[in-house]
Amino acid sequence: MNDMSFTERAVANTETKITARGVQVYYGENHAIKDVDVDILDKTVTAFIGPSGCGKSTFLRCLNRMNDTIDIARIEGEILLDGEDIYDKRVDPVQLRAKVGMVFQKPNPFPKSIYDNVAYGPKIHGLTRSRAELEEVVESALRKAALWNEVKDRLHAPGTGLSGGQQQRLCIARAIATSPEVLLMDEPCSALDPIATAQVEELIDELRANFSVVIVTHSMQQAARVSQKTAFFHLGHLVEYDDTDKIFTNPSDPRTESYITGRIG
Amino acid sequence: MSEHILSAFDRDLEAVQALVVKMGGLVEEQILESARALEERDPDLAQQVRDQDKTVDALEERINDEAARLIALRAPAARDLRMTLSVIKISASLERVGDYAKNIAKRSQVLSDGPQINGTAAAIRRMASAVESMLKDALDAYIQRDADLAHDVRGRDIEVDQMYNALFREFLTYMMEDPRNITPCMHLHFIAKNIERMGDHATSIAEQVIYLVTGEMPEESRPKSSSVVKTEA
Repeated sequence: MNDMSFTERAVANTETKITARGVQVYYGENHAIKDVDVDILDKTVTAFIGPSGCGKSTFLRCLNRMNDTIDIARIEGEILLDGEDIYDKRVDPVQLRAKVGMVFQKPNPFPKSIYDNVAYGPKIHGLTRSRAELEEVVESALRKAALWNEVKDRLHAPGTGLSGGQQQRLCIARAIATSPEVLLMDEPCSALDPIATAQVEELIDELRANFSVVIVTHSMQQAARVSQKTAFFHLGHLVEYDDTDKIFTNPSDPRTESYITGRIG
Repeated sequence: MSEHILSAFDRDLEAVQALVVKMGGLVEEQILESARALEERDPDLAQQVRDQDKTVDALEERINDEAARLIALRAPAARDLRMTLSVIKISASLERVGDYAKNIAKRSQVLSDGPQINGTAAAIRRMASAVESMLKDALDAYIQRDADLAHDVRGRDIEVDQMYNALFREFLTYMMEDPRNITPCMHLHFIAKNIERMGDHATSIAEQVIYLVTGEMPEESRPKSSSVVKTEA
């Protein structure tokens, strides 16, 4: 079957971007992630699904060391980005997060102008040498985030004045302005209406050409729509990780089946 | 498998399956009654079979509507999705079987005026009852989600094919013996062919059951009998 619209859904890339081996996460006494092994592919959208408290967000946050900011969190095991251990002492978490960007559940633009929101990352990381270059980076990030046409005439208006969907796309633009290699998204559409959700999903599909995207979502339909690989988490375990169409038509594990058909939550 | 958190989803799935079971019951009856109408030369019974087909067709339409509604409103996944797809395909097969039974009834009305051709009507009735039992088991396998029983049904299609081939040769002989036999034998041959096709549909329902239970269509390795063309040579 070489039909275009079908083949585009298939995983095109088999290069591993992130490798996790034997990852354990503890929040104090609470064992939140139990021995997770996973290979996240480059230029692919990977969805993490599972009921609340299953550890999917916790695991996502391990991938750019966001859990470092939580004092009681303790992480064991190995997470490699392009073969290099991101928990190595020599790795600067700030630099890491420039490579592994993140978009959160609620749009959280800085209380600054649209322009400054996007320019912030490139500025602090010293990625540009001139004002003109910075302007180019801002425009390109806003274009990639499908927001440019809506904001090009008011770049210096406050980012907080945009609609919810626009704010979320602004946060995506901000995240991709530092040219990350991986984009982590923690329920990026849960505060958006269906139109804005569709725009963000369209954007995720476009971003796949350049980035490895990992998205945590509570909407199984969203996981089915945007991802090529799906990982199902339950009670801290990675229960099943496979091609998205396999997970949604014929999953191997009965727990996955129960969850995606709405039998356990 | 346990129940959905949203119990209305379970009720919808059960309701659409109940329609399939009801449709299956009607079609089984059509098979048996059409063969009985032929053997007993009962044009009134044949007419009943022909009339019942409208009910069967209406049920198929209803099942398709319900399945479309399930897909639109409930976004079924995994086993639920396979179940929804399988009711569409199973009801389509049942509808075809119903049409074949209707056609048999129609031909039996034509045949009821002419002379009997030896014991062929009885042989056809045996063939019909073999197919009816395949269909019944396929539907039982469906209700009980029994892939083994479905495999068994799939293996039985060869018996029906063999019965058909034997009848085919018999009709040829009668037609060669006396050209006046040609018209009734042609009708009888179409009837036998219809029943043979019903067996194929029962097999395809059994395959849907296997897909529903295991998530995979069975391999194309089921036993096939030699074709009719060879017996002619």
